[in-house]
Amino acid sequence: MLRVEKLNSGYKELHILFDVDARIDSNTITAILGPNGSGKSTLLKSIFGLANIFSGKIYLNGKEITFTSPHEKAKLGLVYLPQTENVFTNLTVKENLNIAAYTLKDDARDRIELALNIFPELSNFLKRKAGTLSGGERQMLAMAMAIIRKAEVLMLDEPTAQLSPKFVDMIVKKIVELRDEHKMTILLVEQNAKKALEISEKVYILVSGRVAFEGSAQELLGSGKFEKLCLGLVE
Amino acid sequence: MILEGALVYSNLLAMLCIGLTLTYITTSVPNFAQGSFAVFGSYMSLTFLRLFSVHPYQSIPVVFFLGGVLGILVYLLILKPLIKKGASVVILMITTLALDLILLGFIGAYSEFLRNITGKPSAKFIFTPHDFTFNGLSGVLFVSTFLITAILIFLSILLYKTKFGIALRASMEKPFLAEVMGIDVEKMRIFSWFLSGSFAALSGCLLPFRQEIVPATGSIIIVSIFAASIVGGIYSLAGAVVGAYLIGFSETLLTFHLSNLFGVSVLLYSRVISLVILSLTLLLAPRGLTEVKFRWKFFSALRSGSDYTR
Repeated sequence: MLRVEKLNSGYKELHILFDVDARIDSNTITAILGPNGSGKSTLLKSIFGLANIFSGKIYLNGKEITFTSPHEKAKLGLVYLPQTENVFTNLTVKENLNIAAYTLKDDARDRIELALNIFPELSNFLKRKAGTLSGGERQMLAMAMAIIRKAEVLMLDEPTAQLSPKFVDMIVKKIVELRDEHKMTILLVEQNAKKALEISEKVYILVSGRVAFEGSAQELLGSGKFEKLCLGLVE
Repeated sequence: MILEGALVYSNLLAMLCIGLTLTYITTSVPNFAQGSFAVFGSYMSLTFLRLFSVHPYQSIPVVFFLGGVLGILVYLLILKPLIKKGASVVILMITTLALDLILLGFIGAYSEFLRNITGKPSAKFIFTPHDFTFNGLSGVLFVSTFLITAILIFLSILLYKTKFGIALRASMEKPFLAEVMGIDVEKMRIFSWFLSGSFAALSGCLLPFRQEIVPATGSIIIVSIFAASIVGGIYSLAGAVVGAYLIGFSETLLTFHLSNLFGVSVLLYSRVISLVILSLTLLLAPRGLTEVKFRWKFFSALRSGSDYTR
C-alpha cells in the first residue's frame, strides 16, 4: 500500500532521517515509536511532502509520489493529521467539516454524515467555533475531518497527546474502529508505546533518524529490547 | 460638506485597507505599493476618459479588472519568487517599497506619454467637473458608498457562504493545514492579490473626484492606509473597515477644525493625525481595536465574526 525506500530527509540543511525503509500494508495499524527527536513526526511529514527530501522514494499503491505536492497527495487518499494545529480555530465545527470535504464532489454530504455517526458528540457543537472546543473535542473533530477525506492511508501524529485518560481511551477505540469497520490503513506515531503496541500489527522504532527495529508487537516485546530501544539505546 | 468629504474619503480608504489586509493575511506581505496601485487605477481611468471619452464611472469594471491583473503580476513575478526563497517580512516590505518607487517612475513617465498623445496635461488632474450632483450632494458620495457596501456584501457572502470562500478563510488562518486538506493555497493567494489590486484600482478610479491626483499621490496616501489597517487590526478584515472609517473621519474633521484655528497651513500636515492615532493605538492596543476585548456586544461580535489571528 505505502512504501518508503532509503528515505533521507529533513528541514532545509538539517538532515533528520537516514536511509529509512518502511512498508505499510493495507487495512493494518502500523506504529512508529521512538524517543523524542528520533524523527517520527518528520517521517510522516516527509511522506506527506512537508519536509525536504534529499534522496529516496515513496510509493502509494505502486505509484511514486515522492515529490507530489501535499494537496495532490491529499486527493490520492493520503491523509495526514498533524499533532497540533489540526483544526481551523476561527471556523465553526460545521465549516471545518465542510473544508475536509473540499476535494470531494458528489459524496461530500455522505462522508460528513459518516464522520458524524462515528463521532456523534460533534453534532452538538456544529455552530461553535473550533477554537472554543476542549482538547479532546478538537481531536475528535480532527479525526472526523480525516475520515471525511476518504483516507486510504491515515497518518496520525500523536493523536492522544495532552488528552485526559478518558479521551485517550476513546480515541484509541476509534482508531481501531477505523481499521476494523472502515477498512482504513493507519500509520500511527505515538508516545504512548503501550497503547500503540496493543492495537498495532506492525511496529517501527526510530532512533536518531534510523530504523532500529521492524517487526510485530509480539516480536518487539519478546526481543527484550523494547525499553532500551524506546530510550534510544541502540546496540 | 465636510462630513460628505469625510465619508467619501473613508469609503475609499476602506477599499484600500481591505485589499492591504487581504494580502497581508494570505501572504504576509505588507504592501507599501498599495497607494500606487490606486494611482494606477486613477491613471487608467484618465486614459479611458481622454482617449475614448469614457466617463470614469463607466470605466470602473475595466479598471477593476486591470487593477486585479496588476496585483497578480506583482505577486507572481516579484513576490512569489522571493517568498519561495524564504524572504523575511522585512525583505518583502523593502521589495514593495522598491516597487512603489518603480510604479511612481512608471506612472510619471506614463503621464508624460499621455500628455504627448492627447495634448492635455496629465501630470495632475481631477475628475470633479465630471461628477454629477443629487440633492446638493456629490455623485462620488453615492457611488463610493454603493461600491463599498457592495464589496462588504460580496466579501460576506464569499467568505461565509461559499465553499471557495471558506477555503480562502482556512488558507488565511493555517496555510499548512489548508494544504493538508487538499486546498490549493497558491490559488487562494493569487486570488487575494487579484482582489487587492482590484479594490485599490477601484478606489483610485474614484479618488480624483475627491482630490487632485499626481503620480506621487500613492506615496502620500499609503500613510493613511497603513495607519487605518494597523489601528483596526492588521489581521482582521473587520479591523480594516473600522480603522478606515476612524482614520478617514479623524483626518478630515480634525484637519478641518485645526485649520479653522491655526490657518490653512495645517492642511499640509493632515497625515500627522493618522500617525498620532496610530501611535496611541500601538501604545494602548498593539494588536488593533478589533482585538481589544470590549464588553459591548457589538464589538465582540465584530471581533469573533472575522478574526484571523495567527
